[in-house]
Amino acid sequence: MSRSGEEVWKNSTEKINSELFTLTYGSVVAQLCSDYNNNYNLVNKQLDSMGYNIGIRLIEEFLAKTGAARCHTMKETAEIILKVGFKMFLNITPQVDNWSLDNRQFSLILNENPLADFVELPSDAKDLWYSQILCGVLRGALHMVQLDVSVWFVKDVLKGDDITELKLKLNKILKDEVPAGED
Amino acid sequence: MSEEEIILPSIASGVKSLTVNDRPMHEFGYNPSLGPHSNEITESSLNILLNRKTISLTPTSTHSIYDRNILGTKKHELSISSLSFLFGEVVSWSHRSSKGIQDLENRLNGLGYKIGQRTLELVKLRERFKNTKREIRLVEMLQFIHSTLWKALFGESANELERSQDINNEYMITDNCPLMAKFINIPKDYGNLNCSALTAGIIEGALDSAGFYAHVSAHSVPTDYMPQRTVFLIKVEEEVLIREDLRGGPMN
Amino acid sequence: MKVYAIYILNKAGGLIYQNDINPGLNKLSANDYLVLAGTIHGVHAIASKLKPTEFEPSSKPFGGEKEIPIESSATFSSSISVRDSTINNDVVNGRWNNPNTNNTGLRSIETDLFNVYVFQSLTGIKFILITSPNPIVHNVASLNLKINKGELNRQFDLAKEIFHNIYVTYSDYVMKDPFYSLEMPIKNNLFDSKIRELAK
Repeated sequence: MSRSGEEVWKNSTEKINSELFTLTYGSVVAQLCSDYNNNYNLVNKQLDSMGYNIGIRLIEEFLAKTGAARCHTMKETAEIILKVGFKMFLNITPQVDNWSLDNRQFSLILNENPLADFVELPSDAKDLWYSQILCGVLRGALHMVQLDVSVWFVKDVLKGDDITELKLKLNKILKDEVPAGED
Repeated sequence: MSEEEIILPSIASGVKSLTVNDRPMHEFGYNPSLGPHSNEITESSLNILLNRKTISLTPTSTHSIYDRNILGTKKHELSISSLSFLFGEVVSWSHRSSKGIQDLENRLNGLGYKIGQRTLELVKLRERFKNTKREIRLVEMLQFIHSTLWKALFGESANELERSQDINNEYMITDNCPLMAKFINIPKDYGNLNCSALTAGIIEGALDSAGFYAHVSAHSVPTDYMPQRTVFLIKVEEEVLIREDLRGGPMN
Repeated sequence: MKVYAIYILNKAGGLIYQNDINPGLNKLSANDYLVLAGTIHGVHAIASKLKPTEFEPSSKPFGGEKEIPIESSATFSSSISVRDSTINNDVVNGRWNNPNTNNTGLRSIETDLFNVYVFQSLTGIKFILITSPNPIVHNVASLNLKINKGELNRQFDLAKEIFHNIYVTYSDYVMKDPFYSLEMPIKNNLFDSKIRELAK
């Protein structure tokens, strides 16, 4: 880690009121629900793929602004996602928990979620993972640094759970895609 | 001397008055004619207390949106990049599913429309406590959008608000550097496309919700120093102008 | 140091952006630029395999050959301490740490007429600068090795800073443009004008 999330947030981030972001995302989810006739599994899938498209681009800003070097363990990766990634883009710092024994899987716990402010799910939307786009973003961004991961939601306060929790699991390292010249 | 009924003040006439022998319907509860004695816990009332099935109504979670103060004393901020990346993907998703430039702009406008409806409510709710005035004239409403609403969404007022001298139902709001489209470069073969169509939708949604029916579109009018400068053209419906006349003619 | 030109290469070594921001360098044919880009890409890849036999790779991504990350092995902790020392310097100086990943490959080429600097991001994008040569290197080189080295570092640091600024601009104006497809040539007036501002 070369620059802390706090430092990037303070010194090299143009800040805006999060409400426009929240409302824009809400409008997109609502539109998708109507496009897919409330087939929430399809909505989740679409949100995930939109997130992936964002992630593969967003990683460049993350690297450019932080000057982060390659991580060597998932512990390091988790740390930098939470303390630098989430901080510099969403101005929140989730918690990490529930490491698996092989250290390839962990939980991200969101204490606050700017995507879901103002949101109440209709009672028939039990299958909707409202903030699914986050999973796609993480998957896309990590793919670009040659980590193949799966990311999914397990709990969401919007569904009445006590916390909002995502799981992130390392599937494999895409060695063939690591650019030549790395040490 | 005829028997006089005792009138208990707490009981409406027509309802049978309570006597000492009355037991509460559920074997539990206060009987005013018995006094404190009625609240004694007996075996049967204890049974009710211990075995009743209930749903807790005690507020335990503060996660619900209704538990939070919408007046937003503390504003959450985030990076403009998050919005730009989201908006970029929204444009590219709308682009994939649209038939042409006009269709793309319509989709963006539709997405913005929902934002406008909600923003109007939110901003008005927050403003009410400082300012009890409600905009009933078109110009006042446009000024509200140009300054208060713009500030709430984008952090500062829009640059200009003008009325067309040639066409009586046209108004213009100019933003020299539209926040959402800040990083978007329109390729040459996309003609007049302006991604701020979404912002145009926001204005339209807010105006419609307030009863000032209008159609709003976004047009690029770049200058050398402001390549992203955008004019939002607001075409007000005829009925609004008629109402304006009834309220004393156009304001300036 | 004068920056003549900025090139951007995609992961496959294709030239996706070219901007001759300051006059002073003659023009090549369009095809020559593509060959130049591809050649630098190729030489960079080959050069990364070239290293002295006593060279110990300081660290391997995720513990190298084993896919499961190893956390407390000796090689790993030593690599961390090496990294930390460089990081601390950067933080102390308030400088941005360069995540240039081509540690074993090609980072610069110096000639009498021009210098070439190469920066590769973790994602595999290459940024290339063609600059004026460093005059000190060739005039005073034999006289005073110490000054020469400092001057070299200065120019290298300058290139580093330019790379940082280009990378940030790229992440703003190319990555956030929905009409740009990844890996494809960058045709973007807004980006052009921002890059020109950088060169001033």
